[in-house]
Amino acid sequence: MRHGLVPVLAVLVFAAGPGTSCSRSQPDGPDHRAARWSTPGPAEQAVIHLPDAVDGWAASEPQRVHDRETIYDYIDGLAEVYLAYGMTRCVSRRYGRPNPPGDLVADVFELASPEDAFGVFTVDRDGEPVPIGGDALYRHGWLSFWTDRYFVSVVAQGDPGGIREPVLALGRIIAGALPGGAGRPALVGELPPRDLDPRSVRFLRHPQILNTHVFVSDGNPLGLAPDTAAALGRYERSGGRGHLLLVDYPDAGRAAAAAGRFQADVLGGAAGDGAATLGDRGAFAVRSTGRRVAAVLGATTPAFARELLAAAPAPVGGTP
Amino acid sequence: MSSHDRTPTRRTMLRAGSAWVLGSLLGPPRGETKAAQPASRSLRPARSRVVLIRRPEVLRGDGSIDPAVLRAMLNEAVASLLEAPSSAAAWQRLVKPADVVGIKSNVWRSLPTPAALEQAVRSEVLAAGVMPANVAVDDRGVRDNPVFARATALINARPMRTHAWSGLGTCLKNYIMFVPRPADYHDDACARLAEIWRQPALEGKTRLNVLVMLTPQFHTLGPHSYSPEYTWRYGGLIVGTDVVAVDAVGARIIEARRRAHFGDGRPLNPPAHHIRAADTRFALGNADPAAIDLVRLGPRAEMLI
Repeated sequence: MRHGLVPVLAVLVFAAGPGTSCSRSQPDGPDHRAARWSTPGPAEQAVIHLPDAVDGWAASEPQRVHDRETIYDYIDGLAEVYLAYGMTRCVSRRYGRPNPPGDLVADVFELASPEDAFGVFTVDRDGEPVPIGGDALYRHGWLSFWTDRYFVSVVAQGDPGGIREPVLALGRIIAGALPGGAGRPALVGELPPRDLDPRSVRFLRHPQILNTHVFVSDGNPLGLAPDTAAALGRYERSGGRGHLLLVDYPDAGRAAAAAGRFQADVLGGAAGDGAATLGDRGAFAVRSTGRRVAAVLGATTPAFARELLAAAPAPVGGTP
Repeated sequence: MSSHDRTPTRRTMLRAGSAWVLGSLLGPPRGETKAAQPASRSLRPARSRVVLIRRPEVLRGDGSIDPAVLRAMLNEAVASLLEAPSSAAAWQRLVKPADVVGIKSNVWRSLPTPAALEQAVRSEVLAAGVMPANVAVDDRGVRDNPVFARATALINARPMRTHAWSGLGTCLKNYIMFVPRPADYHDDACARLAEIWRQPALEGKTRLNVLVMLTPQFHTLGPHSYSPEYTWRYGGLIVGTDVVAVDAVGARIIEARRRAHFGDGRPLNPPAHHIRAADTRFALGNADPAAIDLVRLGPRAEMLI
């Protein structure tokens, strides 16, 4: 038993494995909202049972399951983040203790794929790394980690003092019962490592998530969609700083069309691999190679934008 | 109420190209040059009066709110805002007996508009002569609320907090529930929020904005966007008729608190540039501190502005 202090098998998970269950049939349209993730059928869904107690904290309510509609009521204001990563459901449970009084809330988000679970994890990368799941961070009473296609949050909703160990203990119990072993998205590993801030690396599929990290434009000129994959990282060296974005599309046609829209809509028609400076937002540049688009966002100088773009790798398999 | 300058002046023409002195928290609206085009019909007052009132005793030792102190704060602020001889006179200038008044609240679970404030506003509106059947308090249901449907006046009250999409949950942001698809306004960190305020059904109806700064939240944490670690006992209200100016003052306090707490000047992510856009792009009000007459009431210590 990994959870030691808990006298019963607190978490039982029979997962479907790491396969992606989302429908990635988004056409090359500009409206990401048209995209729809398919919901796994009952046979695909894991049975998740969150523990009844941990470290003196007892569940104060039965666990609840939130779907893609009811999640808006549950996490008012932030549901779109999880939906942007193909959330199929969220299993949650609240825990309390009498003295001193406090609340812990555990949320297990089931995403479309392990890539998406990692992506949710990268939305907020503040915190101290802790060895739970695929990657985990702890800060001020909040533990977040991902494993397989699950993103897990355990957060103290009272005074975070003295709360670290119960939060981590609950996280370990949950992680121990969820599937593991999935690696980070391969595309993330293709970001050139030189001068890359590892804490800045994000994985995403939705333009609004991208705009939260680095604003590109209103709308969706890159045609980000559930069937695309994007990795973002920030680079800094003596010559400047800026973000590099790699986006992989299902085919070269969509990549070329996306690069064309970026050239027209974001760069205002700047030609070729030349970097365009957009006021105080910095220098931007774009290039498509095969089914991949590489874009530099907000570089401090056009020269640095060109340098970053030149370092962007072509997709595995080269140009079709 | 302050008068609205509906005629473009040399100042308003120049201001779109002027250098901004706001802190980094607001940030420039992305994709907007400093020569942003003002809206065709400016609702921006020449100057905006904003009252910041603080009363530490409004928060009891256990964190609960003293309703009597809160109501007194509200009334003192409103009287000062309108430079009226009494709070009753001020409220009678804000609303008339014939008005139908919607009080737009905020029910966000972790930091809602205090019920004591809702009750105080409602009581003052009734005391000003508005019929009880013509007053309603609502948030999520405003689009279906019959009182809001026929409202001639709106009063907007919500707590200040950081927000995952807009940088800050502001009085500007509080009207997003008036549109059928709030997510349509999430692009570019909700830069177009002021567009909602300029819709014909809403434009010009808001008589008062109350930004609740009793325990503001200055940082967001986790799926539920809340941790008490990132709130503090400020004990304040910010009151004004210009929603942009009210939010701009609140944003400066949050920025100051973040500087004090983090010590590294870390910017909000995303930036709360919808406040500045409400000024430069939608000409709804004043975000520039130079155009805001800030009245400070209460203890100056740790006022942060």
